[in-house]
Amino acid sequence: MRFNRGVAIGATVLSLALVAGACGSSGDGDKTSSGTSSTSSGPKPSIKVGAFNFSESAILANMYAKALAAKGYKTSVRANLGNREVVAPALEKGEIDLYAGYAATDLEFFNKAAGQATGDAASNATKLNAILRPKGLEALEPSPAADQNSFAVTKATADKYKLKTLSDVAPVAGQLVLGGPPECPTRPFCQPGLEKTYGLKFKSFRPLDPGGPLTKAALEKGDIDIGLVFSSDGAIVAKNWVVLDDNKHLQNADNVIPLIRTKVATTEVKSILNDVDSKLTTDDLTKLNKRADVDKEDPDALAQEWLKDHGFI
Amino acid sequence: MGFLTDVFHWFTASAHWHGTNGIPHRLYEHTAMSLGATAAAIAIALPLGVLLGHGGRHGVGGRIGVNISNLGRAVPSLGILYFLAVAIGLRGYPGFGARPALVAMVALAIPPIVTNTYIGVGDVDPEAREAAVGMGMTGWQVLRRVELPLALPLVMAGIRTSAVQVVATATLAALTAWGGLGRYIVDGFSQFDNVQLFSGALLVALLAIVTEVVLGVVQRGLTPGGLEPRGQSGKPEAGEPAAQPAVLAPPT
Repeated sequence: MRFNRGVAIGATVLSLALVAGACGSSGDGDKTSSGTSSTSSGPKPSIKVGAFNFSESAILANMYAKALAAKGYKTSVRANLGNREVVAPALEKGEIDLYAGYAATDLEFFNKAAGQATGDAASNATKLNAILRPKGLEALEPSPAADQNSFAVTKATADKYKLKTLSDVAPVAGQLVLGGPPECPTRPFCQPGLEKTYGLKFKSFRPLDPGGPLTKAALEKGDIDIGLVFSSDGAIVAKNWVVLDDNKHLQNADNVIPLIRTKVATTEVKSILNDVDSKLTTDDLTKLNKRADVDKEDPDALAQEWLKDHGFI
Repeated sequence: MGFLTDVFHWFTASAHWHGTNGIPHRLYEHTAMSLGATAAAIAIALPLGVLLGHGGRHGVGGRIGVNISNLGRAVPSLGILYFLAVAIGLRGYPGFGARPALVAMVALAIPPIVTNTYIGVGDVDPEAREAAVGMGMTGWQVLRRVELPLALPLVMAGIRTSAVQVVATATLAALTAWGGLGRYIVDGFSQFDNVQLFSGALLVALLAIVTEVVLGVVQRGLTPGGLEPRGQSGKPEAGEPAAQPAVLAPPT
């Protein structure tokens, strides 16, 4: 086969440039903000806040950092570090001092999936602390805001069958198609749990993705009737979906919870973080996520606005 | 050893031989998808390759056509799948999630067939072509009685390449809710069930090998007697006129 050499070289250069561009775009998001009112009571620890690779985590990290900065702490945010397999060891090694974790998922991560997590956030936090304390880490108080597995239907479906809770689905489940991740048929939180706890036997199950774009597109297009989404997903607000209440507590309570190195966890730091968390709701998170993910607003600015609205800065 | 024993048990469990998630049904889906996609790709690519290659490889149009077709190889099947799953949805004939998969597989299968047909038809010995014209054959007759029979081995090689690629790649369709043997791979991965994953991969590999062998036999059967088999890459012999840059080729 013969090739036009000029075209071949041009194409090679172009593809290399694309690869280089893709590589170059990572590793941003190391912003520093310092306090304005650092007047009293000696040197305050400098705190590095880490975040997972999704926008909700970046928003939460910025909230923590800015709330602390407002009280005179020197803080920096390291966004987009990666998944928990990256972020949790970074906390243990002291590369970061704090991150916004999730009560059930972090418990199951640190206990190596021992299955201790329950639908009660406070109990998850207690168990998490028992594991974290010997490592020089601790979990603070769980927020009312949670990002956990939930099942959503469109407004039209909810109206048609008068659905508010998962229990309401039982009489009509036989007419509905469930969509979720491929592991759903074998996971207790998903199909088997829905069947056992709520008596839901669906018409069929469609293997899609864990609360991702496929599930959301399938729900929107009516390819499925009920889909697994995460409770704080911005699409819920954007598409006006109805999240069915888990009234029998099938899901683990994945409430937002700060995980922090004990060394920097002074009484004041803890009270600032707990204060932020206590005012944050799942509804707030969903709306903030919608603005970050759907409207592409800056997590940094969203955190700033929320803190201002709630009197932290 | 324990793992392979588990795989053996997976294959012998009767539950894996019945119903919509049983091996026969998944194998049927996978084969039907691969056959359908390859057939559709042939219907599109073969006339295109013939059109571009007929009368020899000296037109700029032919080179542009083949290069555009080759650009198709750069389009990721997974990208098409996800894009169509979101854009056109998953419902509808011929089955949930089948349409995005079919489009992605047809797109995957077209370039090798176009390229091989173009080279096969275009690289037919100009003397054979001239002799046919000299005998008074029309353009259509030259194509049907000289160019196509001589190009057939290369055309079949293109179809074989496409078919094997499609069989292996149709596994991706399980990511967008379609069935096929990829279901075992995707479900096995999601469910931390390595036995299921491995068994699915094994089935796909076996099906791809069977496809390769069967089409190889067909190819040999279709090759006209007395024709030396050429390399699958379609590389013309050194010194052959077509090896020169097409723009410099003397007009026939």
